[in-house]
Amino acid sequence: MRVEGTGCAICGSTWGDYWEEVDGQSLFFCCSLCATQFKNMVQEVKRRTGWKAVAEVRMAGDYRGRECTAFSPDGKEYSFAIWFDSQGGIQGFKPI
Amino acid sequence: MKCPVCWAEFGTGAYEALAGHMHGEAERSDVNHVMWLNRNVTKTRTSREELAVMLRRYMDVAGLGLVGWMKLRFVERFFGSRPHPFVVALQHPSRATLLGYVLEHQHFLKQWVRSCAYIMAKTDREDVILYELDNVNTEFGGYGPQRPSHYELLIRMGESLGLSREEILSTGPLPETQRALEVWDRIGRECHWVETMAAMHGLELIANRNLKNEMREATVGYFDPAILEAGSREITEEAKAFLREGYEADVEHSEEALRLVDKYSHQLGLVEGVQAVFLSSIDTFSGYLMARLQRAQQFEGRNC
Repeated sequence: MRVEGTGCAICGSTWGDYWEEVDGQSLFFCCSLCATQFKNMVQEVKRRTGWKAVAEVRMAGDYRGRECTAFSPDGKEYSFAIWFDSQGGIQGFKPI
Repeated sequence: MKCPVCWAEFGTGAYEALAGHMHGEAERSDVNHVMWLNRNVTKTRTSREELAVMLRRYMDVAGLGLVGWMKLRFVERFFGSRPHPFVVALQHPSRATLLGYVLEHQHFLKQWVRSCAYIMAKTDREDVILYELDNVNTEFGGYGPQRPSHYELLIRMGESLGLSREEILSTGPLPETQRALEVWDRIGRECHWVETMAAMHGLELIANRNLKNEMREATVGYFDPAILEAGSREITEEAKAFLREGYEADVEHSEEALRLVDKYSHQLGLVEGVQAVFLSSIDTFSGYLMARLQRAQQFEGRNC
């Protein structure tokens, strides 16, 4: 899976040293909360689109809410807004 | 001084020690410390020395004074270039947003009384006791039928939007609200009364209508004042009464409390502790406002 930048896969921070495997790939996160958010987001995209895998996610925004576009391995796009609760669960999700 | 995340204590002005602590916590990916650094100081890993300089700059009250610094941090968090989502929703609130407000805020106001009681229990300063008594009466006790409390006005707003008093009062807080109440209760129990005053009454800046004019960093106020106008039918009269009360009371409440915080934090050598606990409290408040939105989602698309 491709994510933008070299920092945390969800917030871009370069603090911390937390790694988790998502769809068979080891990704860097600044903390476990960001990892939980990212995994929940990928799972929700797969559930809504029926995709077997997510190839790339592009994100804009911050912890208060992010606008994202996910890409499937065969080049399909899916855009959405997402925000999380304090435990990393999805509090809101709106397809754009 | 204290760590604004875990309240670990360091010597006065010991920014190198604080930076060492935060750096260590960030290296072990502690969620709360990493999140605080990301949101308040920098998302880019730096050396301990650089971090000490950045923390000193972030906490510096020399130019603005303590009160000005508190206002700046508050505005950045809730009214800045990217306002808090609840503030965005409250500009022209839906029924769902206001019901989210009602159901969660009733619990906030009960904690409010406990927090003010902690302050009164710990202080012997007459001006502080008198201020807190008046504040508790305005917020919770009321001054007879002509001047109902903020709490009563909140419940009436909920009733005007279709919920019964029983439904409102029997609804418990969401987990996020509960977590916030526990933080504020811990502040009251464990912190100095001046720090508790800053933590709690600093939150009244949310409805301080002067902030938008006073601080160029503020892009919005708590809500668009046009919704309170006599001719506006955007919200119920009861909702107007509730919002207007806070709008009118909270300028004086927050300014007077901050004046007392400023006076006693300098007198008692507590400025750095006050800053740390205030930052903890506004972090907590941000999560609590998200809980109001979470509750609002339960009513979206429902008329009753």
